[in-house]
Amino acid sequence: MSGLSRLSVSPEGLAFDPSTGDTYSVNRTGLLILRTLQDGGSSQDAVRALREKYPVSATDAQRDVADFQGRLRSLGLWEGNGRG
Amino acid sequence: MAKNGIPIHVGVSGINAVDNPGPGIGVARSLKEDPELNVRIVGLAYDALEPGIYLDWVVDKSYLMPYPSQGGEEHFERLLQIQKEQGLDHVIPNLDAELPFYIKYANRLAAHGIGTFLPKDAQFRLRGKDRLGELAEKLDLRLPRTEIVTSHAALLEAVRKIGLPVMVKGCYYQAYRAATPHEASAHFHTLVAAWGYPIIVQEIVAGDELNLVGLGDGAGGSLGLVGIKKTWITALGKMWTGVTIQNRALLQAAEKFVRLSQWRGPFELECIVAGDSLYLIEINPRFPAWSYVATGVGLNLPSQLLRRSLGLPAPPIGTYPAGKLFVRYSYDMVTDMAPFQNMLARGENP
Repeated sequence: MSGLSRLSVSPEGLAFDPSTGDTYSVNRTGLLILRTLQDGGSSQDAVRALREKYPVSATDAQRDVADFQGRLRSLGLWEGNGRG
Repeated sequence: MAKNGIPIHVGVSGINAVDNPGPGIGVARSLKEDPELNVRIVGLAYDALEPGIYLDWVVDKSYLMPYPSQGGEEHFERLLQIQKEQGLDHVIPNLDAELPFYIKYANRLAAHGIGTFLPKDAQFRLRGKDRLGELAEKLDLRLPRTEIVTSHAALLEAVRKIGLPVMVKGCYYQAYRAATPHEASAHFHTLVAAWGYPIIVQEIVAGDELNLVGLGDGAGGSLGLVGIKKTWITALGKMWTGVTIQNRALLQAAEKFVRLSQWRGPFELECIVAGDSLYLIEINPRFPAWSYVATGVGLNLPSQLLRRSLGLPAPPIGTYPAGKLFVRYSYDMVTDMAPFQNMLARGENP
């Protein structure tokens, strides 16, 4: 099971990793990206989800998703290439 | 089987619920929570001020015991006396220093109708701090660089080889961090005075502390395993809060340990995870002080142990949820002098 799929995420954005016991908190936009990726969505799906909910340019949304994936990768929770 | 059935008298030691708590109270509470067994807890204390003596809703009767290290026969005779006075069907020793006695005397105790559920001597020695390297390799775990020393000169040489800071550990209990050779020397002398030789000098591995409590059936099988991550530890290194986890590497190492050693009885696996590596710190041959967590998440290991030992049917071994929080707390109580006086004057209470 990949790190991301095993995370248990509360509606408030608190994530718990049952394997390591680590906990994380994400803000609303982070939660939206996390949920999209956990559901099997691609990076582009996450960008689309962000733009549907928030008034943000495609460039900014792509950068935010890439940054978020980079953070996930540094935590050992994401093995994708960030392009999804 | 009804809860009001024939009382089963179980001796439980380590009822010193202090800042470095013994495991006894958690074990006693678990036994009391068996929905069917009518367990009466016989507290085996070494000091008249061990808090368990005063927790009469957990410990039904307490006795002051001679230290097993003062000579096994005295301890043995005391157990027989307790059995004669008010019955003793089983003993769960919860302190490392007691284990050699109980393993050595297991057959003699059994001949008198006092059961134990413990490993054999060879299994007990297998997880000794001086043999952890060998064991870690078999369990696919890493071991921090470790030196076993029996002299002050060897200590200084070990510190030089490993590099500072290091952990200086006693053969039974206690471990101290040393940042200088002077600190290492001071800890060395303290530990030798308290527990004797050898002393273990170990590299400090930075990472999260993952622990596991388990119960082996003596035939290579497990009667329950529960893993936890320490989220808050005290200045003495004791877990004050933790969260249950399902860490595959930790659970697999525990299953392998039970299978390879044919371990019989409770144990605690202490590990540190650093990156992708899981380091073995030690394996304790008893329940840990936090073992009530397992009962709290549905795996009552002391009850399993007792039922297995007495040949009683036991509930199937289930799984447990990750993400359950363990919070230890301190609590003040005020009571009469009578229990204290009883322990001092008669060596028992009430």
